[in-house]
Amino acid sequence: MTATSAADLPVSTDVVRPSRRLAAPLWVLALLLLLTFLVIYPLLMLVFGALSDSNPVIDGFGKFNPSAKHFLEVLGNENVHLAFFNALAACGGGTILAVVIGLAFSWIVVRTNTPFKGFIAGASLVPLFVPPLVAGVAWGILGSPKTGLLNTALKWMNIDFRFDFYSMSGLIIVFGMYYAPYVYMFTASALRNMDPSLEEASEVAGASAFTTIFTITFPLIAPAILAGSLLSFVVMLGIYGVPAALGAPANISVLTTYIFKLTAWSPPLYNTAAAVAILLMVVTAILVWAQQRVLSGRSFATVAGKAFRPRSLNLGKWRWFTFSLALTYLMIVVVLPTLALVIAAFRKFMFFKDFNALFDMSQYSWVHFNSVFDNPLTMLSIWNTLKVGVITAVIGGVLAFAIGYTVFRTQVSGRKSIDLLSTLPVAIPGLVVGVAYLWAWIGLPGGLYGTIWILALAFVARFIPDTVKALSTSFLQIHRELEEAAWICGRGLLGTIRTIVLPLARPGVVASMTLLFVLAIRELGSSLFLYTSDTTVMAVLLLDYYEGGNTGKTAAFSLVQTAILAVLLGFTTWLSRETTTSARFN
Amino acid sequence: MSSALLIEDLVKRFATGKPAVDGVSFDVPAGEIVVLLGPSGCGKTTTLRCVAGLEHPTGGRISIGGRVVSEPERGVLISPRERDIGMVFQSYAVWPHMTVYQNVAYPLKHRRNGGGDIAAKVRDTLELVGLGDYAERPVTSLSGGQMQRVALARSLVYRPQLLLLDEPLSNLDAKLRIRLRDELRRILKQTGMTGLYVTHDQSEAVVLGDRIGVMREGKLLQMAPPDEIYNRPADPFVANFTGASNVLLGKVLGRSGDKATIDLGAAGRIEAWTPHQLSTGDKARVALRAENVRLGESGPTNVFSGRVIERRYQGMQTVYDVEFGGQRLEALELGTAARHETNREISLTLPPDQCWAYRDEGQAAVD
Repeated sequence: MTATSAADLPVSTDVVRPSRRLAAPLWVLALLLLLTFLVIYPLLMLVFGALSDSNPVIDGFGKFNPSAKHFLEVLGNENVHLAFFNALAACGGGTILAVVIGLAFSWIVVRTNTPFKGFIAGASLVPLFVPPLVAGVAWGILGSPKTGLLNTALKWMNIDFRFDFYSMSGLIIVFGMYYAPYVYMFTASALRNMDPSLEEASEVAGASAFTTIFTITFPLIAPAILAGSLLSFVVMLGIYGVPAALGAPANISVLTTYIFKLTAWSPPLYNTAAAVAILLMVVTAILVWAQQRVLSGRSFATVAGKAFRPRSLNLGKWRWFTFSLALTYLMIVVVLPTLALVIAAFRKFMFFKDFNALFDMSQYSWVHFNSVFDNPLTMLSIWNTLKVGVITAVIGGVLAFAIGYTVFRTQVSGRKSIDLLSTLPVAIPGLVVGVAYLWAWIGLPGGLYGTIWILALAFVARFIPDTVKALSTSFLQIHRELEEAAWICGRGLLGTIRTIVLPLARPGVVASMTLLFVLAIRELGSSLFLYTSDTTVMAVLLLDYYEGGNTGKTAAFSLVQTAILAVLLGFTTWLSRETTTSARFN
Repeated sequence: MSSALLIEDLVKRFATGKPAVDGVSFDVPAGEIVVLLGPSGCGKTTTLRCVAGLEHPTGGRISIGGRVVSEPERGVLISPRERDIGMVFQSYAVWPHMTVYQNVAYPLKHRRNGGGDIAAKVRDTLELVGLGDYAERPVTSLSGGQMQRVALARSLVYRPQLLLLDEPLSNLDAKLRIRLRDELRRILKQTGMTGLYVTHDQSEAVVLGDRIGVMREGKLLQMAPPDEIYNRPADPFVANFTGASNVLLGKVLGRSGDKATIDLGAAGRIEAWTPHQLSTGDKARVALRAENVRLGESGPTNVFSGRVIERRYQGMQTVYDVEFGGQRLEALELGTAARHETNREISLTLPPDQCWAYRDEGQAAVD
């Protein structure tokens, strides 16, 4: 009975050979081709555009004389230099402010006994949901040097100071306030994971609480601060709405607004736009790469993997000071701009004799809303936005599921390349995606250009990294053995995905499709270059109103857009919560 | 009779390091339960997963029911679902989005020849595992033990040729583990299932296995019925792993048949059973279980005079540290009364049949 060597055993005969060996490579190839079509092809066309001087609309693609000369000319252009340094100044200043605000908030929320901390933590993330253009418009209404509501109030109070948000400093302040949450998210979690004994040791050694913060706490979470500030810098760099609203009146161009300006000229300078877009992309890519390096090499001695009860500093009476600080931030970032939009939207004329005129109710009416909805483009843009949102969510969701499953749940060769290609768009600002897609499709007759499909495809490409990332967490939560059990029970791969993986991953799938939908309906940067009058979307129409100079209509449509966003956000959140609770997990 | 499972020279190499499974061969005749026993990382689970088809072997041949399902040298690899096997997983792997009934009916619905009266089959199987009243419950409302019963029912319901069990009891608490262990044996025998069972728990292996295979570092050291594993361990590691923790070091004086005489130095000489070809002068280690040391007895052979150094009373049993002639061993006395005092001269008998001599290849061969 003790058979421990092969020689003792009977030899078996019947041999069955398996088939279907080609399925996996074909599948990987299909995904790679799809990603190439979505991401690589447009980028190649962007490079093509930057290196040539032929206009794709007029000349077609036949007349192509590749030359680095054109690209170098663009890089040597003074206006490009100016836009480049303006962008660095605005984003650099904004990042510094964001770090100050984000750090202060994370310290208040994680490390002090400030009252209503949960509320503050939630509220400090609200700016993330405000579309940049809406924020810019609102601050234009509040802080325009002549008619700004803040200045009207100052005049009424006889204070001899005037705000001017149509300036570099205005740009920096708005950037800093609205992108502080990116820093906050990183630093708050680092503070939470920090071993409190490190700080206690400092205080036992004789340092004051204040000294400890600056000599121990902040240096220890420096990697998190750096990662958060790099991310917020990258996001600001790619934003179009804020500099369009606040920079344009003062003639301050940053890279994003300059690129759009180039395509809006007549004739449009598509080649120059492509070259500047590449510049923007390279800067972004370097910063994203740096951020990933910081994150992967995080050698925090502080993160010890075990759960700590974070140290909570008793601030005594001062806790009401920190509370009011938080409240003030919320007032400035949310309440004040909303109020400004409401006033501007309902007020017939944005001119105030004095501060009391603000309360003259006869001046308020629905006139701006009426004229907004009299415009046939308004309903069209809302309809288009919803269509694009749904198409993006469906295509992107399915693609992300396919990519996520292939990368995280299989061992097929080639999955690393799929992972790489699908993460690539992280380093491409929305505006650059827009220019790239413009180049990819504008010259092709009968192509996608001019349909809402090109918008949807651009959004899918732009947001695929976020969607895959959101989905992957739900894949990782499904125990491998649940799948293996189904294979043993006689199910094939597809059957297992349909009956086991999909039902279990459903909350995650719904959540990431929701995310994609929301991202798509508020996306402005890549829409700018891809819409036509038939396919205009809300974000673009809002910009049109703003550039048309009618503050009342702009504010009214901002409110409409915000309201629609809020309703959709609420609905989709409810929807994903429904499916989450209905799918029971342990 | 053809074996339900036949494994010949199985090798599984992962990307780096030593092979996880290194030339393992054994067979499981129909109706028998074979348990693979070993510490974590010994390759037992990898072997099982190779049989299931969830892991792709690097070399060797696996046949189930006389059909080759894996032979990398000839490019043969049958997918798990075509191997006609059932599997019970360590994590239960019951699907949380289905009821008990849906879980158990799943394989019947999705197998080509699974059909027939699904409802009746599910009902019978649920009765068998003692979950007759739970059919319509969502599995997430069940306890761990009940979930494992669902998993068992799911793998039994279609009567596969071979049932694979991957540490199915290790996630349960101690009391439940013992109960389910005994019940598992009953169910498997009642259904006449052929089983391959993987565990690191000796008591599970002894109760469940018709034969036990002890594995270590990818190699199968011994494959034998439980009493043979316990009374005739073929390898010092097997002896140590199954609880023979006492080791006496000495030199071989002579050998006749499977009996060897070992010189223990100052302590004298000891007779022991040996599976090895020991020759005179070899260094040897003699292993024996603490339970088999007869304290205070003078038998016909292997009688020594020692001294109790320490006594550890453990309630149901007492453990003594005994020293004799520079050697040291632990002796175990069952019962609630401890009869031997410390620091007393005491005679002890080490029955030659229960002392096992092995060639001394250093401590590394044991740990």
